[in-house]
Formats: sequence, C-alpha cells, structure tokens
Amino acid sequence: MKFFFIIICILIFTKELYSRNIGETEILTDDGIEVFQKEKYYLLKKNVKIESDTFSLKGDNVEVYFEKDLYDIKKIVAIGNVNFNSSEYNLNGLGNELILYTEKEEIIINGIQSKLIINGTEMKSDGNINVNNLTGEFFILGDNSSLLAQEIYIIGEKIDGIFSSNTEVNEIKFLDVKDKNISYIKSDDTEMYAKHAIYKKEIDIIELKEDVKIIRDGETISGDYGTLDTKDNSYKVKSNSSNKVKVVIINSDE
Amino acid sequence: MNNLLLLNKKILLLFILFLFLLIFGFLFTKFYLTNTLVNYSKSNLNIGADIVEPRFSINNKSKKISVSANEGNFVNDQEILLRNNVMFKSKDFIIKSDNVVFDTIKLTAQSKDDSKFISDKTTISSKGFGITENGNIINFNGKSKLIIK
Repeated sequence: MKFFFIIICILIFTKELYSRNIGETEILTDDGIEVFQKEKYYLLKKNVKIESDTFSLKGDNVEVYFEKDLYDIKKIVAIGNVNFNSSEYNLNGLGNELILYTEKEEIIINGIQSKLIINGTEMKSDGNINVNNLTGEFFILGDNSSLLAQEIYIIGEKIDGIFSSNTEVNEIKFLDVKDKNISYIKSDDTEMYAKHAIYKKEIDIIELKEDVKIIRDGETISGDYGTLDTKDNSYKVKSNSSNKVKVVIINSDE
Repeated sequence: MNNLLLLNKKILLLFILFLFLLIFGFLFTKFYLTNTLVNYSKSNLNIGADIVEPRFSINNKSKKISVSANEGNFVNDQEILLRNNVMFKSKDFIIKSDNVVFDTIKLTAQSKDDSKFISDKTTISSKGFGITENGNIINFNGKSKLIIK
C-alpha cells in the first residue's frame, strides 16, 4: 500500500514539474501574450522562455510571426537579453536582438557583444552577425567583429564568408575581410595584417591588400600586397613602385 | 418442522411488499428528489441573472466570433457581465473563461478570471484575457503559458 502511495506521489509531482510533453513546445511569459490575427503574429511579453526538445530561447520580449495558425512559425524576433540554444543545428548564441527565419534557416543577431557559435565556429560582434544555414553564407559587421574557426582567427570590421554546408564541422570556403584601419588574420604560426584580405579555399590562397604585414617566427615583412599559400604555408609580399618591401628580423637569441 | 412453514403466507407477502415499498421510497428520495432540488437550485441561480443564455457575435471582415454564456447581467447601458461557461468561438479557436465584461457597442471583451485559448495544435492558459478591434487583437494577461503540440 505504501509502495503504491509513493508511486502515485512521484507521478503527480513529475507531471507538475514537467508540464511539457515530448514533442511539444512550451512558451512562458510574465506579462501575457498579445495575438494580432490580421497581422499574423503574437507578442510574448516580459521574461519570455521558449523550450522544446531541441531548442530553447530566453529574451525580454519576443514577436512570433506565423503562416496559418499560431503553431506554424515562420519568423521569431527576440529583443533584449536574448540567449538561445539549438541542439539540432549545434548552435547557440546571445545578443540584444535575434531574428530567426525558420524556413530559410537564417539567423541574425544584432547589438553589442553579440555572439554565435555554430558547429564549433565562434562569431562575435558589436554590430550584426548574419548566418544562412542553408546556403552557408554569413557576414559579421561592426566594431569588435571576429571569427574563430578551426585553424583561423580573424578580426575585422566586415567579415563576409561562405561555409561548406556538406560537412559536420563548418569549413570556410570563402572569406572577404575588410577594415578601414587594419584587419588581422592568424593562421597556424602566421599572423597577417591588411586593410583587405580575401581567402579562397579552391586555390588555397589568402590574398592581402593595402598596408600588408606578415609575421612569422620573429620575421616581419611589410608591403602593399601579399599572398599566403595555405597548402605549403609559403608567402610572398610585393610593393608598389613608390615603396619598398621591408623586412624586419628579430633574433630571439640576442 | 421447518419454522418457515409456520409463518402466515399473507403476513409474509405483506412484509415483502412493505420491504419493496421501502426500497422504492429510498431510491425515489435519493435520485428523483435530489435531481429536482439541484434543478431547482440551478433555476434559482438564474433568477439573479438579467439574461439567461445570452448570445452575441463579433464580426469582422475575415471571421465571426460567437459569444455565449449561461447567464448575463447588465453592468450599464452597453456592458454585460457574462457568467458561467463563457465561450468565444470562431472557426479557428475557442476561448473559455468566466466573468467576462462584454461591450455590446464596441464589441470588446475583458476578463480577469482564468482563461483558456484552444486552437489547432495550440493552447494558451492565462489569468484573464481581452478582445479588441472586432476580434483582431486578443490579449492574454499576466503570467501566461502557450503550448504548441
């Protein structure tokens, strides 16, 4: 008898604790929900928590746009202290504003100290982070923008790129980095500075333009144009006719 | 000799009849009269209502929302307090609540009681709700929970 009583108590408390069933999405708000039927969206107000089997999101306020009915979500706009995680797409992030297009799998994060980690690739910015998971296209725009992938670290005001979408870990196929002051790229043991840098996976070349500086093993070479072959890790630096290529070698034994 | 054979058949019959009447009487009192009393109490409750089973509808260009309740009381010239099993029903959803103030001119509704919204694969539970702009905007108040199946 005592055993059955314990079982019943466990069942009751379990149901109370986990009100969401498997496969369901639960949305909790502190200050209500406003449904706009004509405009086809609902506004989730204050301290919003969205939880499903593979996705969770927290934010101050959230707008959910739907197609046919409330369940048929096509766009989510979360504003204020946004924090989200998706185990299905192996991504998580935070920022002041999140815009998520469910059908075209596009994520936009706006605001200071925005951060997105997708398949091990970390993107940070004080402006915007935009990733299209279907096409693999992304851009990071604004102050303190950076990208940390497997073997490469990039800092620049504007980082455009394309991921390879057919691999589990995001492999970068193309990169275009611009910064009106200077952008920074670190690949293996080589550090590179330039106002404009382009990387193409198909030719395995990083192309550096304007105020180029390459540092490796205590050797600094600066010029106007440079290339780094990522296959054999060799590099070349050229200069315009007016300037000369400058080489600084620091002997660490001295 | 068997004691049963010593009993008068007439007395035995009368006793069985008495017993039958007693059981019948008990059952009659328990079920029929109780039901009658419950119905009487219910009808007495309705006596306090200005309108019994009021029906309204909110129409806009795209849909119609039917409003129903068991009772209604006039709050003023244009507002009615709908009580007991209040329901707002359209082809897309149902809202169930209690003590809803319905404005018959502006076609708006407000409630502070527990409310439940049910539509295809979706339920919303909240502490009260409001309908404005001919049913275009539905506002669920306070701590709310939305479940998508």
